[in-house]
Formats: sequence, C-alpha cells, structure tokens
Amino acid sequence: MKDQKQFSSYDLVANTWDEMYKNSTEIRTHYDIINTYLKSVSKEKLDKKEELSKQLFMSQGVTFTVYSDNEGIEKIFPFDIVPRVILASEWDKIDKGIKQRLKALNLFIKDIYHDQFIIKDGIIPAKLIFDCPNYLREMMGVNVPHDIYVHIAGVDLIRNNDGEFYVLEDNLRTPSGVSYMLENREISKRIFPGILPKNNVRSVANYPDLLYKKLKELSDQNDPNIVLLTPGIYNSAYYEHTTLARLMGIELVEGRDLLVKDHHVYMKTTNGLKRVDVIYRRVDDEFLDPLEFNASSTLGVAGIMAVYRKGNVAIVNAPGTGVADDKAIYVYVPAMIKYYLNEEPLLKNIETYQLANPEEYKYVKDNIKTMVIKKTDGSGGYGMLMGHEADDEEIKDYLNTVDKNPAGFIAQPILRLSTAPCSIDGQLTPRCVDLRPFALNGVDGVDITPGGLTRVALKKGSLVVNSSQGGGSKDTWVIE
Amino acid sequence: MLSRVANNLIWLDRYMERGYGILSLLKVNYYANQDSPELFSWTPIIHNYDVDGTNFSTEDAIECIQHMVFNTNNSNSILNIITKARENARSVQEHISREMWLSINDYYLFLIDKNLPKKLKEEDPLEFLDNLKFFHLNYYANMEITQGRGPSYYFLNVGRYLERVILISEFTALKLMEISKTTDKLEQSFYWKNLLLSIGGYRHYLKTHKSSFEQENIITMIFQDELFPKSVYYCINKLNKHINSLILSNELEKNNLEFLLGKLESTIKYTTIESINNQGLDNFIKDIKEDIKNISLTVNTVYFSQVN
Repeated sequence: MKDQKQFSSYDLVANTWDEMYKNSTEIRTHYDIINTYLKSVSKEKLDKKEELSKQLFMSQGVTFTVYSDNEGIEKIFPFDIVPRVILASEWDKIDKGIKQRLKALNLFIKDIYHDQFIIKDGIIPAKLIFDCPNYLREMMGVNVPHDIYVHIAGVDLIRNNDGEFYVLEDNLRTPSGVSYMLENREISKRIFPGILPKNNVRSVANYPDLLYKKLKELSDQNDPNIVLLTPGIYNSAYYEHTTLARLMGIELVEGRDLLVKDHHVYMKTTNGLKRVDVIYRRVDDEFLDPLEFNASSTLGVAGIMAVYRKGNVAIVNAPGTGVADDKAIYVYVPAMIKYYLNEEPLLKNIETYQLANPEEYKYVKDNIKTMVIKKTDGSGGYGMLMGHEADDEEIKDYLNTVDKNPAGFIAQPILRLSTAPCSIDGQLTPRCVDLRPFALNGVDGVDITPGGLTRVALKKGSLVVNSSQGGGSKDTWVIE
Repeated sequence: MLSRVANNLIWLDRYMERGYGILSLLKVNYYANQDSPELFSWTPIIHNYDVDGTNFSTEDAIECIQHMVFNTNNSNSILNIITKARENARSVQEHISREMWLSINDYYLFLIDKNLPKKLKEEDPLEFLDNLKFFHLNYYANMEITQGRGPSYYFLNVGRYLERVILISEFTALKLMEISKTTDKLEQSFYWKNLLLSIGGYRHYLKTHKSSFEQENIITMIFQDELFPKSVYYCINKLNKHINSLILSNELEKNNLEFLLGKLESTIKYTTIESINNQGLDNFIKDIKEDIKNISLTVNTVYFSQVN
C-alpha cells in the first residue's frame, strides 16, 4: 500500500530548518505518525480531504466576504491539511518564554502610564515612547483592574535555521486568528479520524472557557454583563467575533448598540438599557471613543474612555497597549525583562537595527540585500521592503521614504523561516511557517493554549505568512 | 435581548418567509402559464414584485424566473432576499441554533454557485424551483426542532406571521385585479383556484368544499379559517400569541400593541362574508394591510426605539 509519490518533490530548502525532515532522508520522530499516515493514503484521497476541508470551511460560514461589482464573493482563509507538529519539550520552552515576556511587557505598560521608571533609569529613550503613535496620553495615571493591561496576546514566533524559536512580534492590541486555531482543530478531527488521540495531541478546546473566566474576573459583579464589541459584519475577522461570542455565550455588540449614561456603559435591549461591565473589544484604540480619539469613528462609543477611567467598565485589552508592541520598542524587550524581572530572556529577539541611529542605518544600507525594512507602526505585512526581492529602483524609492523619518523604520536580517510540509496540488512540498500561540493573562497568571496558529506562506519561496498576502494556516499539534 | 438583535431576528424570518412565498407564486404561475398563457401571464407578478423593474418586460417563462431568482438589481429576487436573510442570520448567530445558521448558509452558497443559472435553463424549471423551496422547508424544520423557545424564537415568529399576512394580502390583491378584468365565471374560477394553489391551500379547500370553486368559500378560507396555517386569521392569531409571549417574558412593553392585534383579530373573525362583499374584498384587504403596517411600525417604535 505504500505510496511515496506525495513525497517525491520534497526538496529541502538550503540553510533552512525543516520541521519534519532532519536531513534529506531522516524524519524527526515526532512526525512519525503523521508521516506513516500520509504515506498510507493515495494522492486522490489526499485531494479529497483537501476538498472536504474547503467545503467544511464554506458550509460552516468560516469565511469573509469580498465585495466587488455589487456581488459578494465568499472566501476562506486557505487551510493546509498537513498539521504542524511540535514536541512537548520544545513547547514548554515557548510556554515559559512567552509567560516571561508578557509579564515584563505588562509591567512595562503599567510603568509607562504611571511612574516611567524605565525612562528615568535611562533604559529606554523618552523620545521613542512619546513619538510612538500607539502611546496614549489619555491612559496616563489610569489604574486598570488587577494592573493587567494585556489580557490577550498572540505572540508571533519563527524558528530560525539554528532550530531556535525567535520572537518576531508581540501582538498586544487585538490579535486575531484564535478562531482559526479552534476551527483548524475541528477540521483535523474530520480529515484525520483517530489520528489525534493516537498522537496524544494536547487539546485547544478550552480556550473560550478560559477567556470567559479571565474576562469575568475583571468585574466585581457576581454575574457581570460581558460583551464582545465588533466593528460589524463587514470586518474580515467578523467570523472570529461571532465564534468567540457564541462559544462563550456572551452578547456580540456593535458600537451603535452601546451608549454611555450616568458614568456607565449600557446596551440597548428590548426591555430597556442594560449595564455592561466588561467589554472584550475587537475595535482598535483609534476608533474606540470618538470623543477622545478619531472623532469620525462610528465603530466605538462616545464617552466610553471617561467611564473606563472611572473604573466603571473594563476594556480588554486595555487601551494604549500598542506602545509595547511597536517595532521600535521591540528592540528593548530583552532589556525590559532584565530591568523588571531581573531574568535572562528565555526567547530570543531577532537582531534589529534602528534606522534612527546613523551607524546602524549605514550598516543596513551596506547590507540591504540581506535585510528587511519595516515600518515601526505597521502590521499585516504591509509597507515592508524585502531586500533580496527588490530591484535597485525600489530600494532607492524606499530609502527616500526612510530618510524622511528614519525613526519610523527598523531593519532586520532576512530570516530563514523554518519550513513544514504542505499539501500543494497533492504533493508534499516545504513552505515557510511561523507560529502564533495565544496567551491569556489574568489574576492567576498567564495561560497559553498549547499550539496556536501556524501560518504558512503558500507561495513558493515566500516569507510572508499574512493572510492578506497569500498566506494560509495549519493546525498545530503539541504532542508528548 | 439587544434591540438590534431582535430587529435582525424579525427580518431574518421575514425574508425567509417572503422567499418561500415568492417561490410558490413562481412555481404555480409557471405551471398555469404552460396551460393558458393568456390567463396567467408573468407581467403582473414582475410588476408587483420587482418595484424597480419597469424596464423588464417579457413573457418568456425562463427569463422571468431567472429575473425573479437571480437578478441582483431586483430587490425581491430570491438571491437578494436570501443574501439579506443570511446577513441577518450572520449577525445573530449566538441567538439562533447552529443548525438554523448552517441551513441558511448552505442555501446562500447554493444560490451563489456560478453554475446554478445554467441549471434553470437546461433542466426542469419546476424541479429547480422545488429545490429552492426545499431549502426553506429545511430551514423551517430546523427551526422547529433545534431552536429553543424563548425571546429569539418569538421574535422570529413575529417576523414570519407579519410577512405571511402581507404575502396573502398581496397574492389575493393580485388575483383580484385579474378577476376584475373578466365576467366569465369559468375564467374567474380558474383564478380563484390559482390563488389557492399559490398560497398553498388547494388540498385543504378540496377536503372542505370538494371540487367546486365558490368565491365566497375561498375568501372565507383564506381570511377566516382557524385551521388553515396560511389563513390571515390563523397568522394574526399566531402573531398575537408570540407577541404576548414576548410581553410576558418582559421583552416587550404592552403599549397599544395588544389593542391593535386584538382589534384586527376580532375584525377578521367576526366580519361576515356579506359584509366583506358589501365593502368590497379589495377594501377589506387594504384595511388589513393598513392594520398590519401599523402593528409592524408599533413593534418598531415601541421595541426598537433605542436603536440608533
């Protein structure tokens, strides 16, 4: 029955860590079960499973709508059926590393919005903080419940060619993708019947319960009214908002459903106004309160920040956390860990050059072909320059933009993202992957769901895993 | 419950009911049109349901069905109606059963399949329309079996029965216009029979009155029958029941809603056929539509006054 055809084109990428293959012949043992399984199924069967996964996403409504010519087109985020497998021992390291990092980042945000010891002690330059567009003066001196600012984080990791995990980005604002972590697992159960229990794959299913618990403890009410605030059905993450609200049994609200009255937030119900105690918002800071931020926003609630400062409503994540996941601040996270926790960082940062520093800028220019330059406040994989792909003209144009405001940019060496086997046209082919574990921070500390979302750059040779730019995702198995 | 959610639940079911009604009308007209195109032309239907479709005039049956099912410029096309139903469903997923959401989503995906319009042209149109109707039946069944009883269910039903009364009134008014054009008793009976088929009461009528199509019997059945689920009386009765459940569960304030519904229910129940004939059926329908419009507006103003 053995059919090795699916593996015939598995060409390892030079100088790159492969999640499955140790070398061209040897397979890492934690991939044994999935490898055996893949070899036992024919190409046709694999194709069918892929088709099934697409249908499942569609029929469950795990889609986003793209509107063009008055016509709605339903799209799914591409899903690769071959799971990414991580050994429990490796996972423990990630788990500890993210916990340490979040602890420090949370202390940092509290410090920045209160005493600013880290600036006074000369660890981080004041200018960097105050120039950061996501630093909110409106949060100065505001006390938040249990001193927790970041309740939900999705830290992006990559595995470099040395086999080590590095932190690429701390997403501390409104990270998305957790519904895909949950949904991908559901699909895996359907397309690999019986394989998950055989592998002792750690479950991800209690994420919604855990999230609910963390939201609930933010209120001193016995039965707090917790809501999820969404920008609405046209948001590309709307599916995620409905899923989380449904799984937690909480109300999904839009800005127009809420109002502020007598220093409290209320929702408009069929039998009058009902007080809201905790808001898990999926609306960015900028749109949260037209009275304090973007005045033209209709997605938020006028006056909500005043209520928040009075302590009459909890907002999750706290406004202003973006100051800590800014790409220019990222450089200082290892220093924060030492400063606040007096510990060595367990997870490494990627070497990062600040273009505001002329020497570092010069070094980057000299080595431009091996560098990626990013905007410090950018996200979604937009506005980047990949040195090895760009031609001279593009580089020149980009550097002209940098020259106008070097502090708005950082550079990093182009990374060797690890590859994992993906089913591309029925053939197993290596593609670059990253990993976004989801962490929940509460009174009892940080809990991280084992696994998370593995994002894949489905285009050959591409390093960009963002869903908006040809990326897909995979189920992620942490096994003993 | 959020006012917006209640509003979306009402509209979700209104759209589903409307879709089903229009499909039934198309199916019955297609069938009748094959027999006697001079009696059952497409123009009145298109004119009534495609409010912007002044430019559309053909008697080609397939083109008419195509227009009423797929044309996105026609706000009452099935595709538009189901797209709106799905949008409403999508925004209230935490309030309806999973099965209901999946059945609506499946229906929507079926409709937007690029190969579907071809099927209408190449295959039996009756089977095509039946397939679409099946999605509605599937939705009704899923709702009946999987949706918990409570405010969400009551609001869905408010939408359903409001829309059903409107459809029955519209279908009847449409036929009355045709009937008024002829004095031939036989032709008139064809129209009445056709109306029964469109509403879905043909068999119920046969059981009660056998194969003799008397105008008065038909009017009595469509407007006053207590056991026929597509009669105006039956719908108002149900509407009253669900609105009362909402009042009892504190989801609605009484205001004059109870009064309006009670009044309409008695009017329909106690108006004799002689009195209907005296004032003219068209006037009787006009009054019902006016009352329903008032009830619908009152639901909006009383319960959704907080929206926006």
